[in-house]
Amino acid sequence: MTAETATIELRGVRKSFGPVDVIHKLDLLVKGGEFVVFVGPSGCGKSTLLRMIAGLEDVTDGDILIAGRDVTDLDPAKRGIAMVFQSYALYPHMSVRENLAFGLEIAKVPAAEIRRQVDAAAEVLKIGPLLDRRPGQLSGGQRQRVAIGRAIVRKPLVFLFDEPLSNLDAELRVSMRAEIARLHRELGNTMIYVTHDQTEAMTLADRIVVLRDGRIEQVGSPRAVYENPANLFVAGFIGSPRMNIVDGTCLDGNRVAIGGTEITLEAPIPAAAAEKIKLGVRPEHWSAGQAQDNALPAQVEFAEYLGSTRYVHCRLATGDLITIEQRGGPEALPGENLWLRCDQRAVKFFAASGEARQGS
Amino acid sequence: MSRKAAATRRRAWAATRYHVIGLVTSLLFIAPIAWSMLVSFKSTTEAARPPLPPWPVEGFTTQSYENLAQYGVGIWTYAGNSLSVAAATVVVTVFISLLAGYGFSRFQFPLKNALFVLIISTVMIPFQSILTPLFLILTRLGLQNTLPGIVLIYVTLHLPFSIFMMRNAFDAVPKEIEDAARVDGASVFLMLRRVMLPLVLPGVATVAIFAFLASWNEFLAALILLTDQRKYTLPVMMAAVRSGQFGTIDWGAVQSGVMLMMAPCLGLFLLLQRYYIRGLTAGAVK
Ligand SMILES: Nc1ncnc2c1ncn2[C@@H]1O[C@H](COP(=O)(O)OP(=O)(O)OP(=O)(O)O)[C@@H](O)[C@H]1O
Ligand SMILES: [Mg+2]
Repeated sequence: MTAETATIELRGVRKSFGPVDVIHKLDLLVKGGEFVVFVGPSGCGKSTLLRMIAGLEDVTDGDILIAGRDVTDLDPAKRGIAMVFQSYALYPHMSVRENLAFGLEIAKVPAAEIRRQVDAAAEVLKIGPLLDRRPGQLSGGQRQRVAIGRAIVRKPLVFLFDEPLSNLDAELRVSMRAEIARLHRELGNTMIYVTHDQTEAMTLADRIVVLRDGRIEQVGSPRAVYENPANLFVAGFIGSPRMNIVDGTCLDGNRVAIGGTEITLEAPIPAAAAEKIKLGVRPEHWSAGQAQDNALPAQVEFAEYLGSTRYVHCRLATGDLITIEQRGGPEALPGENLWLRCDQRAVKFFAASGEARQGS
Repeated sequence: MSRKAAATRRRAWAATRYHVIGLVTSLLFIAPIAWSMLVSFKSTTEAARPPLPPWPVEGFTTQSYENLAQYGVGIWTYAGNSLSVAAATVVVTVFISLLAGYGFSRFQFPLKNALFVLIISTVMIPFQSILTPLFLILTRLGLQNTLPGIVLIYVTLHLPFSIFMMRNAFDAVPKEIEDAARVDGASVFLMLRRVMLPLVLPGVATVAIFAFLASWNEFLAALILLTDQRKYTLPVMMAAVRSGQFGTIDWGAVQSGVMLMMAPCLGLFLLLQRYYIRGLTAGAVK
């Protein structure tokens, strides 16, 4: 069942709480049926932006369009959206059935029709046996299902999720994540999803929107955002452990000086001679060994063993801390001296200002 | 002796101690009430005699209640006055404190905290000290010696506490529940009635009980503001009964009055106590 899909368009949207600007003139186009994930550090305005799309927060400036219709001044209920909250926000004094039916009841849908739709939603989410219980008698996962059910029965054009899984334990989070992905496949609605969780963002999103301080830093597919971060912030934010950033000075062509060590790269460096440049290399693109040519000397500080992989944290001569990912091989001991080499094709370049520089 | 038997005995001893202490404590509380009740069933002459034994030895009689019923313009007028004053006080207080508490809890407006502190600080003024101006204001409004006038006074006296109570009650309801109701299409008043009200019912029950008890038992303001005998509330009437007629006090009538005044309070408590049960909001969030 693929519903009609709705685009969401933000045009120059701004939000301020009193004198504080929380969202700065933001433009974004979400395509119909797309699953877009907002990520960003705490307090960057993800929830505020989502609540503005939902109509729960006034827009200071700019327009919001859903399915081509300007909804900037419409009530939440008239925007064709449904929202799932982090805290579930179920009505505690109503049974699950009443929780699901509440919105339809207000919309004066006939009782028989309400019943049919509630049963259908309960079927999709497998909460049929729980319909007569109160939210207080449900587990966290069941509550979140009910909250999603309440969103489904509204038959919205757009689903908005604000960190819906962050109150669940790790295992439940994985299964609910799969459930939400299934829901998106089955319903085909446009969905916007706010999360802190990298894995949720990477696995669920068609496109990721990285926010910082109320501004969009980058919009792109999970792959694009991971492999070609637009700037240092995105590079550091997406990926765990974070991308390693090393300061260097471009010597000429394809040679760079990093803390007294000279490295020759295969490709030319996108920087002028004597220009300061930052090199970003993800932990999985390093290898450690004893070979000394074209490698950086480092001392092991500590290592973390995670089963299939091992993260070794090393200190460079420049003082930078580098995390490298190892699979198998001899164990690195604290204090040990290593020579680090990186996979040259995976090196990202950033100007001192933080902007990415396209290498060749 | 086996360890098991010792444990059983220890548990039995703990249970006995628990029940004995509980029993003694509750007896202490019940005794005066029981005493009043027993005396109220004595005959008038017997009630006037020294109070031991406390139970009627000459047989149970409702003579005291009949005497009380004949008092002044008839007890039912006074009871009716009291009941309507208390009920009106409860309704108006609950209504205003619900809306005010919601407003203080959810809306941002200039001088909000100053206004709130101002309202709360009126509790610090002993109302006896402002009876004269209150009396003058009511006279100016043409409400002196009327039941609506006294209701207004009682409502004014209870509002600070009630608004404080209701603000706290609303503060305890997560904002997201309200947001969910708005997304579901509820208007502000529908949301208040269908979603918020059930969640703040414990607060409403508390406010209602306090407003009822205080206005039901209030004496001084009623004595001063009500001059017409037919407008008297029960406490004023009871003071008259207690001070006696022609130098004799009908103790039986006094005790039956105590019973009469206690009955609605007890009833209200029993009716509303289930709303004290905590955890109504359990399961909404987290
Ligand atoms: N009602 C409000 N009044 C004033 N400032 C607010 C209000 N709501 C949010 N803010 C501010 O707006 C900024 C963005 O908040 P928001 O809740 O959108 O962040 P977030 O990205 O969702 O963070 P988190 O990941 O912690 O949920 C924060 O700095 C916050 O302090
Ligand atoms: Mg948030």
